[in-house]
Amino acid sequence: MKPRVAVVGVGWSGFAPATPSLSYKELMFEAARYAYADGAVDPRSEIDSFVCCSEDLEEGTSIFDEYVPDQLGAVQRPVQTIASDGLFGLATAVMLIRSGIAGVVAVEAHSKASDVVSHGRVARFALDPVLNRPLDISVLAIAGLEMRRYLEVSGRSLEECLAVGERSRELARGNVRASYASAVDDDDEPLFDPLTRRQAARSADGCVVMVLASADRASGGDPVWVDGVGWSQDAPSLESRDWARAVYAERSARSAFERAGLEPRDIQVAEVDDTFAYKQLQHLDAMGLDRLEHVNRSGGALSEGHLHEANGLARALALVEQLRAGEADVGVAQSWRGLPSASGAVAVMTRG
Amino acid sequence: MGSRVAVIGAGMTRFVRRAQETGKELAWIASRAALDSCELTLDGIDAVCLTSAPDAFDGVHRKGDYLADGAGAWAKPYIRTYVGGGSGVFTAIQGWYTVASGMADVVLCVAEEKMSSCQPHPQGAFLTIFDNILERPLGPNLLWIFALEMQRYMHAYGLDKRDIAAVAVKNKRNAADHPAALLGQTDITVDDVLASDVLAWPVQRLDVSPISDGAVAIVMASEDAARRLTDRPVWVDGVGWNLDSTYWTNRDLAYPEYVENAARMAYGMAGITEPRKQIHVAEPYDPFDYKELHHLEGLMLFDKGKAPEAAADGVTARDGDLPCCPSGGLLGVGNPIAAAGLMKVAEIYWQLRGEAGARQVPGTPERGVAQAWGDLMQVGTVVVMGADEGGRGGSATPPQAPRATPPQAPRATALSESEFRLAPGARDEPFDAAYEWDAGEAMGRFLAGLEEATLLATRCSRCERVLLPPRMFCERCFLPIDDWIALEPIGIVETFSICHVTWDMQPLVEPQIPAVVRIDGASEGGFLHLLGEARPGDVTIGMEVEAVWKRPEEREGSILDLAFFRPRDLALRTA
Amino acid sequence: MSERTISGSLPVAFRYTPGVANTRFLEALRDRGVFLGSRCDACDVTVVPARMFCERCLGATPTEVECGPEGTLESWTVGSVGIDDERLDRQVTLGLVRLDGANTVLVHRLLDVREPAFGMRVRAELAPERAASILDVEGFRPA
Repeated sequence: MKPRVAVVGVGWSGFAPATPSLSYKELMFEAARYAYADGAVDPRSEIDSFVCCSEDLEEGTSIFDEYVPDQLGAVQRPVQTIASDGLFGLATAVMLIRSGIAGVVAVEAHSKASDVVSHGRVARFALDPVLNRPLDISVLAIAGLEMRRYLEVSGRSLEECLAVGERSRELARGNVRASYASAVDDDDEPLFDPLTRRQAARSADGCVVMVLASADRASGGDPVWVDGVGWSQDAPSLESRDWARAVYAERSARSAFERAGLEPRDIQVAEVDDTFAYKQLQHLDAMGLDRLEHVNRSGGALSEGHLHEANGLARALALVEQLRAGEADVGVAQSWRGLPSASGAVAVMTRG
Repeated sequence: MGSRVAVIGAGMTRFVRRAQETGKELAWIASRAALDSCELTLDGIDAVCLTSAPDAFDGVHRKGDYLADGAGAWAKPYIRTYVGGGSGVFTAIQGWYTVASGMADVVLCVAEEKMSSCQPHPQGAFLTIFDNILERPLGPNLLWIFALEMQRYMHAYGLDKRDIAAVAVKNKRNAADHPAALLGQTDITVDDVLASDVLAWPVQRLDVSPISDGAVAIVMASEDAARRLTDRPVWVDGVGWNLDSTYWTNRDLAYPEYVENAARMAYGMAGITEPRKQIHVAEPYDPFDYKELHHLEGLMLFDKGKAPEAAADGVTARDGDLPCCPSGGLLGVGNPIAAAGLMKVAEIYWQLRGEAGARQVPGTPERGVAQAWGDLMQVGTVVVMGADEGGRGGSATPPQAPRATPPQAPRATALSESEFRLAPGARDEPFDAAYEWDAGEAMGRFLAGLEEATLLATRCSRCERVLLPPRMFCERCFLPIDDWIALEPIGIVETFSICHVTWDMQPLVEPQIPAVVRIDGASEGGFLHLLGEARPGDVTIGMEVEAVWKRPEEREGSILDLAFFRPRDLALRTA
Repeated sequence: MSERTISGSLPVAFRYTPGVANTRFLEALRDRGVFLGSRCDACDVTVVPARMFCERCLGATPTEVECGPEGTLESWTVGSVGIDDERLDRQVTLGLVRLDGANTVLVHRLLDVREPAFGMRVRAELAPERAASILDVEGFRPA
């Protein structure tokens, strides 16, 4: 019988447009300390495995995984890096625990987006070098093309998309992590139509660390159970992927719900990716949650800022907090890796 | 522990210096071969695990996404892991926990590398693995790491280069029997190795494995699925991995503790208490010849410092007591980084099934270990595999229909250098993104100190270690640090190299002397820098040195404010 | 204390070979002005540009199919920002075009498409001098 897995500790740092006084190591150390204190674990003796989430070109350093262990208390411990976002890291932690090789696992993801001069140049390097990059356009074109197609096929409207942003800012009031909640530009401006600046989350720095444990190592406190995880990859190429539906979200949600023994209608709160306003709607549609009222009560990335590889974990963090506060008993966190990727993960969590 | 997991199939491309195929196509060739080897269709795969070393080789950001279609990950759960050079073996570990966790019954694990894309020379990408503040300004190249470690290893145990060079000979000769090999050579000798160009003493050209393109894939399955799909599963009996501190200049490089830690984890899980008796064949990671020996000791298969003489005695030959790298290893088959590690897992798989053809080690090996290594001399990944019980003990009967191995004739289209230069439709592109890294508190103060010609360290109040390079946390105690002290910029050379090439492999007129200088007063080593005003022949481990600073108006808060370290002994100084 | 930043880059450059399948596609585009796709009979899918393998079943796909040069517009966007997020002096219009005979789309420029519409018919315009590049296609105009 595979053990049940719980989130027993969470910590974060940053969540600001820039963090000039801290290096990425110091940002990670701060979040880790909070997480370990929250989970009452000593990383040197009580954490069995560590999972970090990063991509070299976001950091400006190759083999970035070299640089993680010290500030996480993970020196000479089993540490792995995945080239994916924090929610995939959470799924990895679940696998490690269910496999029996670890009882307590720490997951980390961060963004030091303010260190990157032009995100556009990094992002376009993920495009196919022969077939797509020669066009020399911003990856935002993909969002424009997808948004138009999505609206056409789903019947959703531009007004609904704009409403997502407004609602996000209302919801984010009181969220200490939401540095963009009140930053409303006077004039919106077009990016790749119908996508406009106000519909796009802006980058932020931050780090999230979570500690997961098997049921028998989750002593005291209020565990939030991770009852189902799923993750999926659509066609990476622009040519053959689905341009209307977030199929990666459909599939990951289906797996996560099945593993949790739940249906979409059982979900009471959701924290989903809203890198662009239309993505929030597209993701809800994909997961069968289009009727759900309590969505992105944190304000999502539109208000907290886009934390790049830590985005998924930021959504999971918000979900954990809502469940711990008793705002709901069952919720879901979902991530999308962002342009130009077509992959994402889902975690279904339940309270106590 | 979770359910038993087996390897049930494997396939690979040829390893070539420059492949025409894209990374996707390389991944596909290997994945297809692995599926064919166990007669599976892609429908039978529940999840895909992939690994590939830095994006800076293939030149695609989020390389994992790019490779996903070639690796069969369309519409599937898919994650790319990576731990530098340790990746290839790690992906088998990833496959293990994906199955053992119950998330999948059958997984495809793929490792790919297309290093030839990186220009002007793939070695150049390694500049970017060094610390952006403390090391990159010095212009380090990959060879420095290996040379500094090799020097330390040789010094600590009084080793002879002849014994080390013999590993390159063994592996390159073994590789002549590997159908995927880039460079199998039946007639190479120790003298050839010792006569090859000195790149960064003590590293010579033939000590180094060749840069390559290639991919390898394996299929892993739960016990139930394995029994259904094959009559000769090879069990993954143990897995282990371990990452040491980033601060490699604070560690003694003579022994890879993290490899031992990973081995203990894997052996513990496999129930191995006497590895020298219970492991019958080993594929330790051999990007350089001395590394095979270094790792064999970390794997506890030989005493510290004793692997070279055992190897010289023939213990590690294919027909020796403990055959090591019967495949030919990275030195012989080639080194497309992540793929090379998985090639070792595949080799153990074929060896334990008696399917390694001309490479087959005699007897009936029942247990084998594959190991990889990477990062800044930091990570060990270990997998212990065991033949199925049905194949254990008694006399070995060869399979009814002996197959060529690897089962599929490995393919990849090799391009010559001029074909590569003239390939129709080829594109050249630099990576032109820029970064402005926040130095943060520790580095901010350290750099401010350098501008004032001061060397600042931090001290942990609990363990009382004095840490240089300084950090705001003690990684051992996991506590914040608030205490700063200034150290006199004198110390001793802990290890060094005489380097004759630049970071992008151009010859240097005057050799550079990179060194790890242990500063007096620092608890554990110091940092990387260059020696100056010294004759290469006079430099020794233990030599006392002092810092030479740039003039105040030239200092700007950089590691280069310290121009170099020079011998304290005037007799050893050239200027 | 001042907050220092260190400037730097990843000084790497690349030479990308198009690969086995893309080479055939690009050479056919350059030499004959045609769009080669590949067909997987098992999955009933035709992909443009041609590929060595089918991503859905990992089967080899040696069967080549000429597709286009006309196709159907499946989406479009007008771009106002460049790669560095700078405002563009001149907007760029891109589209998703499914060439006749293909199940997949090409992402490319739209030329003089004043009133784009879903399902609109467009036609590839090729460069007069071609170099085995995706830019041998200048864009798609109304058919």
